[in-house]
Amino acid sequence: MRFELSDDQRLLRDATTDFLSNESPMATSRAISEAEGEGFSRQQWKKLAELGYLGLLAPEAAGGQALGAIELAVVLQQMGRVCFAGPYLDVVLAAKVLEAAGGRDELLSAVVVGDRIVTIARADGIWPTEGNHVRFADGRVEGTKVFVPFAESADVLLVTTDAGLVLAEAPFEVEAMPTLDEAQRFSKVTLSGAADLIGGNNLIDEVADLAEIGAAAVALGICEAALEASVRYATERETFGKPIGVYQVLQHRMADMVLRTESSRATVFRAAWCVDNDSADRAIAVAAAKQYAVESANRIARDALQIHGGNGFTWEYDIHRWLKLAVTLDQRYGSRDELLERALAEAEAL
Amino acid sequence: MDLSLTTEHEEFRRRARQWIAENLEQTWSQALRDPNNDEHALVEVRRAWQKKRYAAGYLGMSFPPEWGGRGASGVEEAILAEELARADAPEHVNFLGIGLCAPALIHHGSEEQRRRFIPPMLAAEEVWCQGFSEPGAGSDLASLRTKAELDGDFFVLNGQKCWTTYGPYADWIFVLARTDPKDRYGGISFLLVDLKSDGIDMRPLKQITGESEFGEVFFENVRVPKANLVGEVGEGWKIAMTVLGYERGAGTLSMAMRLGNDLRALIAAARDLGLDDSATRRTLGKLVVDWQVLYSNGLRTLANMADGQAPGPESSIEKLFWSEFDQRMREAALDILGAGGQLSRFVPDSRQDVDWPRDFLWSRAETIFSGSSEIQRNIIAKRVLGLPQG
Repeated sequence: MRFELSDDQRLLRDATTDFLSNESPMATSRAISEAEGEGFSRQQWKKLAELGYLGLLAPEAAGGQALGAIELAVVLQQMGRVCFAGPYLDVVLAAKVLEAAGGRDELLSAVVVGDRIVTIARADGIWPTEGNHVRFADGRVEGTKVFVPFAESADVLLVTTDAGLVLAEAPFEVEAMPTLDEAQRFSKVTLSGAADLIGGNNLIDEVADLAEIGAAAVALGICEAALEASVRYATERETFGKPIGVYQVLQHRMADMVLRTESSRATVFRAAWCVDNDSADRAIAVAAAKQYAVESANRIARDALQIHGGNGFTWEYDIHRWLKLAVTLDQRYGSRDELLERALAEAEAL
Repeated sequence: MDLSLTTEHEEFRRRARQWIAENLEQTWSQALRDPNNDEHALVEVRRAWQKKRYAAGYLGMSFPPEWGGRGASGVEEAILAEELARADAPEHVNFLGIGLCAPALIHHGSEEQRRRFIPPMLAAEEVWCQGFSEPGAGSDLASLRTKAELDGDFFVLNGQKCWTTYGPYADWIFVLARTDPKDRYGGISFLLVDLKSDGIDMRPLKQITGESEFGEVFFENVRVPKANLVGEVGEGWKIAMTVLGYERGAGTLSMAMRLGNDLRALIAAARDLGLDDSATRRTLGKLVVDWQVLYSNGLRTLANMADGQAPGPESSIEKLFWSEFDQRMREAALDILGAGGQLSRFVPDSRQDVDWPRDFLWSRAETIFSGSSEIQRNIIAKRVLGLPQG
């Protein structure tokens, strides 16, 4: 038994840390997210492709690395720390869906080399009471999807419809849906045109475990980075002639951040291991990992803001980047209510 | 990363599970419900179970073979503990002796002390209790004042200890006593004291559960042979800190199993009672998530142990997590079961699966004993984060 990463996984982690600290530290990620435009850097995207990150999960035949959930978690944990800008998780998941659907080798290879961007259009309505608006018949797709990630930049969308999963090529009618997190580029997409049916909507469910592990790993990165920022600040900032870190009320708040960060780490990597090894408890492990890590990222980001006082409320400080990403994650890749219900249903079935 | 057990460990688990199934006559929850079992009888249930485990080699397994163990690894201990928890087996009667005193003897005691004390401890012939806390020294243990003065070949012991778990049933007590009033840490020594000695008064201490598993013990000019000093004079603090590390680091997986059993009983109760509203399901779902987090933490500790990693701060994190999770679960049980959740197991028509009111009350002790939550948070702030100390 071994909890530590393997040598290869450690190399991947170090390479990712190097890439991010050279190409996209927090300041750069922020600048990209805050600028007008696509919300990510095409130049960085090309580098991600060259270094093999876009093919992380894709099969070797398509130029990918065919790695698993643990490696996905290793990469996204580092990306979460800097709130890396762009649809990385969405695109590697879309590539996995294309692989499962089969018969799309050319497109899959183009995604892996960074020439084409594919994301998934799934949500039908802003409010849970809204039903499926998207119809597919006779080779045409008609209808509207919401919260579609980076649709403005996507060459192809994978769209869930009444008839199954379809592949639709740009152009589509795209209307921005700005949410509280500026880094997200969500859109409302209206589809009316030719599309190809590539399989059942269950193709999306089959990558749900990877999606949730990925989101949980981003959340773990947020936990780590917001904790580290808090400890740094509490050591430097003085009140009444002492660094604020000497006060027990703040020490205990930060001890709770450690508790949540370390518990998230154990839970996320155990779940990733369960996915890669298809162990019997993978469903409950994954639901717990995504729910706990995201809940922890939300708690820690809020506490970090409090510890930073008025500075934490300024645009200038980074705390709000983590806070906003954590809030986004709570409703994406398995919402809180879905995960709690699934965790309970799994426990009932034990 | 590899979280699977080796085939040897899987085989060990299979054998342990089979042995437990064949030898456990009464689960702990059955023993608690048995109207013939008062508090004394329950102690005897534990004693009988310990004897069985010892005879079969399922006790003190990681001790060296010459002290009744198998020289087994911590991984096997953890697997056994998990299987015992799965089967709802009673805790053995000498958990403080075997958990704390025996390691102190193995690492710091003399050969003679090991030979004299460890075998009857394992065989449940002599039950031990722990004499660390005092009325004036709990979290700040080093402020303890029970004093031991050397008089020829004896220490003369005067003072008071409290929260002595199993005190009323114990034959021996291991005591931290002050041998030098001027040296806060270096003035503490570790003594083994026969509770039949003259000058000892052991009184049961009634707890909020109504039970008197705790005691308080008074020492008045108790003469303790010098041969019962563990280590050197003044080494008591160091020894105590080492053995408390064992206590805090052990058994998260078995805790996850025990608490998971009760959580599943709560889920079953909610289902039986038709409580499927969204608020209840959300509360239960959160507890399931926490339970899985606890299990994941335990699995990481086990894997690190198997991998030969030195234990780190995870013991403080795990103690904090399980104790606070258990409190959340017991509180949720009272919320979900309503007035019925306040009925003890002795009342007809109460939920018989778990003694919810008793366990709710008991859970309040968990964030206090073995290093309170506040002390654990201090440890994390200091040792993990290196925050400035005021």
